[in-house]
Amino acid sequence: MKIKLKYILAFVLPAMFLYTIFVIYPLFDSLRLSFYSWRGVGPKIFVGLRNYKDMFTGGFSKEVFNAFSHNIYFFALVSTLELGLGFLIALLLASKIKGTKIFRTVVYLPNMIPLVMVGFMWSLFLHPQIGLVNQFLKVIGLGTLARPWLGDPNLALTTIIMVNVWRNLGFYVLVILASILNISPDLIEAAYIDGATNWKISWKIIFPLTVPTFRTLLILLFIGSFNVFDMIYALAGVQAGPFRSTDVLGTVFYRTAFGGLGSAYTDMGLGAAVTVFIFMIVMPMSILYVYLVERSDRR
Amino acid sequence: MKTKLLLVVLAVIALVVLAGEVTIWSWRTQDAEVWKQVEAELRKAGHDIKINFMAFAPTEYDAKVNLSLQTNTGPDIVYSRRITPGGTYPLIDNGLYLSIDDVVDFSNFPQEVLKFVTYNGKKYGVPFAVQVVGIFYNKEYYNKFKLKEPETWDELVENAKVLKKNGITPFFIPGKEAWALAMQHAMCGVSVLGPEWIKKLTNGETNFLDPKFTDLNKKLNDLKVYYQDGFLANSTVDQDAAFAFGQAGMVFYGIWGYQTWRQLNPDIQVGYFMVPPATKGEKPYAYVYMDGAITLTSNVKNRKDAVEVLKFCATPQFGTIFANITKNIPAVSGANLPKDPLFEEIVDVYANHASPYIYWVGSVFVTKKPDLYNDVLSPGMQELYAGKITPEELSKKAQDAISQWYPPLMKK
Repeated sequence: MKIKLKYILAFVLPAMFLYTIFVIYPLFDSLRLSFYSWRGVGPKIFVGLRNYKDMFTGGFSKEVFNAFSHNIYFFALVSTLELGLGFLIALLLASKIKGTKIFRTVVYLPNMIPLVMVGFMWSLFLHPQIGLVNQFLKVIGLGTLARPWLGDPNLALTTIIMVNVWRNLGFYVLVILASILNISPDLIEAAYIDGATNWKISWKIIFPLTVPTFRTLLILLFIGSFNVFDMIYALAGVQAGPFRSTDVLGTVFYRTAFGGLGSAYTDMGLGAAVTVFIFMIVMPMSILYVYLVERSDRR
Repeated sequence: MKTKLLLVVLAVIALVVLAGEVTIWSWRTQDAEVWKQVEAELRKAGHDIKINFMAFAPTEYDAKVNLSLQTNTGPDIVYSRRITPGGTYPLIDNGLYLSIDDVVDFSNFPQEVLKFVTYNGKKYGVPFAVQVVGIFYNKEYYNKFKLKEPETWDELVENAKVLKKNGITPFFIPGKEAWALAMQHAMCGVSVLGPEWIKKLTNGETNFLDPKFTDLNKKLNDLKVYYQDGFLANSTVDQDAAFAFGQAGMVFYGIWGYQTWRQLNPDIQVGYFMVPPATKGEKPYAYVYMDGAITLTSNVKNRKDAVEVLKFCATPQFGTIFANITKNIPAVSGANLPKDPLFEEIVDVYANHASPYIYWVGSVFVTKKPDLYNDVLSPGMQELYAGKITPEELSKKAQDAISQWYPPLMKK
């Protein structure tokens, strides 16, 4: 049956209209704004590529590249931990141990807590004087390991990443678990009959068959890591302290565009240039993601 | 009878609904009660005005005001920052803040306060508070350990030593909030370096590489052994609670904290002293600055009532309400100030010991980028305390930043 064009348009146009207003227009407007200097009020002054020059070579570049390196670190650590731990826990849950259903719920629980709440909760847990983490370390005799977790420039970003892992791990466990459960039991049974050990089955059968899922998750993690803002904002604030040791491109953009106390550079145009930079990093990966999903659908 | 009662209720509701509403935006949550009382006073005086006060996070406030005023969705009145080239000039130049010389009587304000709201000879707002910063201490601990207010930096360190020896954290520092560290540096600077040195710096007769400036950085860095463990992870909220409940002996802060400490612990006895100078015989000074102003915006929907509110803000009566609730010094003169020994001392400091030369808020060094506050001292003090840079490197950072744009310090 051939659907008439007017019906197709009737369904597509409202969505296209909203998409244009809320996605396409802001995208192109950000790109346009990145060629201007604008303090948020008054006329926009055309500055050509100056914002990009400032971002890559001027005094502002230090801040941008410092944040960029943190995004890379964020991605590396988050993907190692969330995919690595996620696979191990999923494997455990797939092995039908007692109480699997409860564990599955428990592992996903932190994901259901609103992020603002996570930030508030963990800033209390990590409080240098009265925080649960340091108190616990003291109780078990490891008081020397107690640290100002969010105040030590060498630990702050890693600490925030750990909180991020705590919150999101459940999601990755469930996705990997679904992928593992999708593997034909015949394959595993045949391997057991042939005398394969659990270790061999995990690494020679289960892992290779879940690689496509890993690939997709890795791309999602990449996009998420370069767009990260909320977790840093909730635990370190927009200043991303101490002295920018937790700064990422998202917080650089926020400070630059919207200013506030302690902002070193404030200009909407410069902020827009930062978003274009983030977009240029994330876009190729998004295209790759769509390509991979479509390819797997076609199969 | 029932019908009459219903009519009366309806009339009251109508009066409340139809009252002229004046919307005010601020970054100061602590002022909500002030506006309730102002509304009551205005009603007593026959003005049917309802004040709708809304406070926003300080870090997001400026962007919110800028954006809303341009899209005509802003309030009638805003709390505005001091007039500076980068901050307030564009808002005035684009007609978003309105001058109020014609409608408000400024005769109750000293000239040195009005200069912060004056641009091209016109006034853009009614100044609301003057802030005094310095060292606030727990009197109970000072009495218990027979300490006296220090007259030199070494005596301050001695006091800290005694407190530490007796198990009290001498200083609580909110190191997570970089602005508070910049403020700490600045309040120490007015006494330890002295206004004369800052005057020389402003004139270009010396610069940030002067050993005196580096020595101050060193003094502060050496003091950190008397701060609470993990101080770089603590916020001003932590500081308020810790100081109010006696977990620390002293804080480097501003008088605006007093209201919160008293609310948290009504029994706390707080004392104040200016940061002591380096040696005996030198005078201590306090860092004093105008906090901000109450400004009429171009978005005003209820001009008549908004002007009435602003007129009231310029009266000593407003100053009385403001000071009694917030324990801040009102910018307007002639107010009846609260009979509180600490507050009286602070008012005396404001009147007689304010440093005439400064290098933080309100100074020339924060008027262009990179500035001394946001780009040097805020991150620099955190780096210094974390051991990432030396006192000499902090001085160099200051010189490198300011000499980029401030002619008197170029090529120094």
